[in-house]
Amino acid sequence: MPMRLRKPMHAERRRFALALIAALPLTAPLVFGARCAWAAPAFDLGALMALLAGVKSGEATFVETRRIEMLDRTLVSSGRLSFKAPDVFVRETLKPRHEQLAVEGNTLTMSLGERSRTMQLDASPEAAVIVEAIRGTLTGNRGVLERLFETRVSGDARQWSLELVPRDLRLRGQVASVRISGREQVASEVRILLADGDHSVMTITPVRASRAGS
Amino acid sequence: MTRGAPPAARGRLAIALWLAAVAAAVAIAWRAHYVADLSAFLPSAPTPEQSVLLDQLKSGATARLVLIGIEGGPPQAGDEAAAAARAEASRRLAEGLRASGEFSSVHNGDTAAFADAGRFVFEHRYVLSPAVDAEHFTVAGLRDAIDATVALLGTPAGSLLKPILFRDPTGETVRIAEALTPSRAPRIDHGVWVSRSAPRAVLVATTNADGADIDGQQRALAAVDAAFARAAVPGTRLVVSGAGRFAVDARERIKSEVERLAVLGSLTIVALLWLAFASLRALAIALLPVATGVVAGIAAVSLGFGQVHGMTLGFGTTLIGESVDYAIYYLIQARGGAGAAARWQQESWPTIRLGLATSLIGFAALVFTGFPGLAQLGVFSIAGLVAAGATTRFVFPALVPNGAHGAGFRDRLARSMRAAAAQLPRWRLLVAALAFGAALVVALAPTPWRGELSALSPVLPAELARDAALRADVGAADAGALVAVAAADEQGALEAAEAVAARLDALVAADVLAGYDSPARLLPPTRTQERRRAALPDAATLRARLDEATAGGPLPAARLAPFVADVEAARSAPPIDRKSLAGTPLAAAVDALLLPGDAARPWRALVNLQAREGAALDVARVRGAIADVAGARVVAVKAELDAIYARFLRQAEWQALLGAAAVALLLAWQLRSARRLFDVAVPIAAATLAVLAALTLAGVALGILHLVGLLLTVAIGSNYALFFEHLRRRDDADADTLASLLLANLTTVASFGLLASSRIPVLEAVGIVVAPGALLCLLFSAAWLGRRDAARPLHGKIAP
Repeated sequence: MPMRLRKPMHAERRRFALALIAALPLTAPLVFGARCAWAAPAFDLGALMALLAGVKSGEATFVETRRIEMLDRTLVSSGRLSFKAPDVFVRETLKPRHEQLAVEGNTLTMSLGERSRTMQLDASPEAAVIVEAIRGTLTGNRGVLERLFETRVSGDARQWSLELVPRDLRLRGQVASVRISGREQVASEVRILLADGDHSVMTITPVRASRAGS
Repeated sequence: MTRGAPPAARGRLAIALWLAAVAAAVAIAWRAHYVADLSAFLPSAPTPEQSVLLDQLKSGATARLVLIGIEGGPPQAGDEAAAAARAEASRRLAEGLRASGEFSSVHNGDTAAFADAGRFVFEHRYVLSPAVDAEHFTVAGLRDAIDATVALLGTPAGSLLKPILFRDPTGETVRIAEALTPSRAPRIDHGVWVSRSAPRAVLVATTNADGADIDGQQRALAAVDAAFARAAVPGTRLVVSGAGRFAVDARERIKSEVERLAVLGSLTIVALLWLAFASLRALAIALLPVATGVVAGIAAVSLGFGQVHGMTLGFGTTLIGESVDYAIYYLIQARGGAGAAARWQQESWPTIRLGLATSLIGFAALVFTGFPGLAQLGVFSIAGLVAAGATTRFVFPALVPNGAHGAGFRDRLARSMRAAAAQLPRWRLLVAALAFGAALVVALAPTPWRGELSALSPVLPAELARDAALRADVGAADAGALVAVAAADEQGALEAAEAVAARLDALVAADVLAGYDSPARLLPPTRTQERRRAALPDAATLRARLDEATAGGPLPAARLAPFVADVEAARSAPPIDRKSLAGTPLAAAVDALLLPGDAARPWRALVNLQAREGAALDVARVRGAIADVAGARVVAVKAELDAIYARFLRQAEWQALLGAAAVALLLAWQLRSARRLFDVAVPIAAATLAVLAALTLAGVALGILHLVGLLLTVAIGSNYALFFEHLRRRDDADADTLASLLLANLTTVASFGLLASSRIPVLEAVGIVVAPGALLCLLFSAAWLGRRDAARPLHGKIAP
C-alpha cells in the first residue's frame, strides 16, 4: 500500500452511461414579464440581454411537440416551468407522465416517479448546452451565452428571435441549434433542432412574473 | 572459550570462527532480497476486518489507481486554445495508455472508449437491469416503460438511444447506466474531463499491476511518461499521482536516503576515528566490529523475514555509531603492553557487556511493536550489536592484543573531557533541577502523544496536496468509509452486497449518501439473475401484451420484433459469472470489489460509499441501516486505522515501560546496591525527561517511533552512566577511558543526528530523540556521577 489512508475507490467511471442519460428532455423557457416601453434603434444581443435581465422570477405553463424521425406520431407533452434568478430553473412535465427536472447552479436533479438522480451539469455538456441556452436567455446572461454559443439576434424588442449554435463542434454534432423567440420580456417559444433532424417546439404561456425591484 | 587452551591457540580459533561466521553472513546478505515498499509503515492487522482494510490499502483498487493531470498549453496561446491543446493531449495520452497494455482501464471522459463495457451491459441487460420483474412485463408495465423511453427521444440523450430503440424499448440499458453512473463526475470541456478548480485536463487509469508490485507500478508510470512524450502537445506538462506513484517515489527516496546515510555515516565515523587514532591501521581495525555487525544484522533479517527493507539499512547507520564504540573502548583502554587485553577483559568488558545488554533490551522493544519494518530494525540491531560485541571481546584480544597506537587528537579530547568532567559536577544540582522542571512540563503540558499513523508515511505533504487536488478533480474524493460483507462463498458475498445495496438505496433517497459502488450491480447473484430471467414472458405472450400496451402509442408493436427476439434469447441464456466479464473493463471493477476467499478466509464483497458533496458521511446512519444484514460491517477507514494505531501506541507504551523496567532490573542485579542504582538512574531519567519536555514544548506530535527513541536513549545512555559510576569507584579516572567515552558518545550522537536529518519520518523520529538524548546522558552522567576531585594532573596513560 502506500500510506494514503483512504477507502478503496472505484476506478471505473462508466462514462458511456453518463452520456446516455445525461442529456435530457430539457426544453423550456420562460416568459413572463411586463411591457417595456422603449425600443432601441439597433436591437442586438446586448439590448436583448438587458431587456431579459429585468425579469427575476416567474412561472409559466408549456406545451411541447416533438417530431422524431423513428416514430410514426408527434409526441406532445405539457407541464409547468418556473424560474428564479440567478440560477434556478425547474421543468415539471405533467402529461403524459410526471417528470421533473430541476437545475440549481451546477446541480441537476431528475425525478421520474420514485426514482431521483442528482448529477453535475458541467459533467454532461449535452445537457448543459440546452439548460444554459434557456437559463442563460431567461437571466439575460450574455457571458454564458457568448461562451457556449454563436448567437444571432433578429427582429426588435416587440418581436425578437435569438438563435444559438453551440461553439463546440462535438456538441454541435448533437444539438444543431436552439432558437428562442419572444416579445418584449416574454419568451414565448423554444425550438430545438438536433443534429439528427429531430426537433421540438415548446410554446410557453406565462402565469406570473416578477420584475426586478418589484 | 576454553580456559585450558593456550592463549595463542584460542586466539587463532576465535579468528577462524569469526572469519567463517562473517563469510556465511556475507553469503546470506549477498543473496538477500532487498525491498523498499511502503507496507512496512503499516501495522500488521489484529482483526480480519482490519486485515481486509490493510490488504485493500496495500494492493486493492485504490492502490492501482493512477491519477493524471495535464496542465499548461502552447506558449502565447489564449485560454481557449490552451484548453483545446490539453484536451488533445488527453485524448492522445489516453490512446497511448490503452495501447500500452499496462492498464486495465483508462478514462478521460471521452465516451468513445466505453463501447466494450456498453456492449456487455446491453447484451446482458435482462439479468443486469434492476427494473426487471414480472410487473415490468405486464401490459401496464410495458406501457409505462416504453413511455419513459420515448420521453428521452428528441433530446441529446435520445440520439444515443435511437440505435437500440427497437431492441430495448423498455429502457433497461438506461436503467443500468443510471445505476452505474457516479453522481460526482468530473467536468467535461472540449470532450474530455477537466478540473473544476484549475486549468487542467484529468485522466484516471487503473494499472494491471498489483498495488504492492512496485516494479509493475514503476513500469506503468514509465508508460504514462512515454505516452505523454509521444503525445507531444507543445507547452503541456504532466502531473501524476496515486498510490503507485507514492510507492515508487518513496522507494527511490528510501534508496537515495539509505545511500546518503550510509555514506555520511561512514565518513563521519571515519573522521572521528581518524581524530582519535590518526592511524590507518587502527581505523581499519576499529571498523571490523562495525562491518561484522552490519553483515550479521542483514543476514539475521534476511533469515528471519525473507527480505531486507531499505529502511533497515538506513537505520543500520546508527549501528555503525553504536558498535564502533566497542572498538573504541577496546583499542584505547586495552593499551599498555603485555596482559593489557586480559586486564581490559577483566576491568572494562563487564561494564561494556552490561551496556550492551541494556541496548539489546531497548532494541528488543522494536521487535514487538507490530510494525514489520520496525521489527526488522530490532532484529537487525540486536544481531548487529551482539556480533560487534563478540568480535570485540573474542577476536580483538587475538588480533590486536595491545590496543591501537596512534594518539591523533585524542590527547586533546581527553583534556577537554577531563576539564569538562572537572567542571560538570558543580552543576549536579542543576541536573536535578532540570529533571524536576522537565518532569513538571511533561506532567502539566497537554499530551504530545498525538502522532497519527500517517505521520509514519514517507509521502511528502506537497505530494499529498497534489493527490487531493487531482482526486477532487475526478470526483474521487474520499468518503472515508466502505461496507465490507463476509460470506462463505461467492454467491453469499454477492447476495449480502445486494442486501446492503437495497438498504443503501433508502439512504441515497434520503440524501444521506450520494451513492455507492456494489459488485452485485455488475455481477448480480445467480439467484437474482434467475429471478429476473423467470420474469421474462415467452415470445407469444410478450407479443400479445405489446400489441395491447402500444395501441395508440407512438411506437407500434410491429417494429418491436427485435425486442421480442432479444427477450426470448435472454430466457434461455446462461447466467453471467466472473468469467463472462473477462476481457471487458467491468472485470477490473468487479475484481476490485469482490475478494475471493479460501479455506482460511471468507469471500468478501466491498461496497464503496460516496459521501454527499461537501458533507461528512454519517457513518452511524449507514451502520444502523445495514445492521440487519448478516456479515456486513461498516469500515470507517480513518477511524479504523487510528484505532489500530492507538492500540499499537498503548501496547508500545507498555513495552517501553517493561523495557525500561528490564533495564533497571538488569542494572540493579549488576550493581547490587539501591544507592548505586539510584545514582545511575538519575542522569538517564533527567536526560530522557529533558528530551521529552523539549519535544513537548516544541509542539512535536509524538508517536510510536519517538517512544522507541526514548527507550533507546535509556538503553544507550545507561552505558555512559555505568562508565562514570565505574570510574567513580576506581581511583584513577583515567584520561583514556574518558576520551573513549567522549569519542563513543560523539559517534552515537553523530549517527543518530544523521537520522534526525532524514526525510523518512520513521528514521527522523528516532533520530531527533536519541541524538540529543545520548548527548545529555553523557553530560548529565558526568555531572551527576563525576568526581569532584577529577581536576588533578593527568595520568601518564595518554602519551604513547
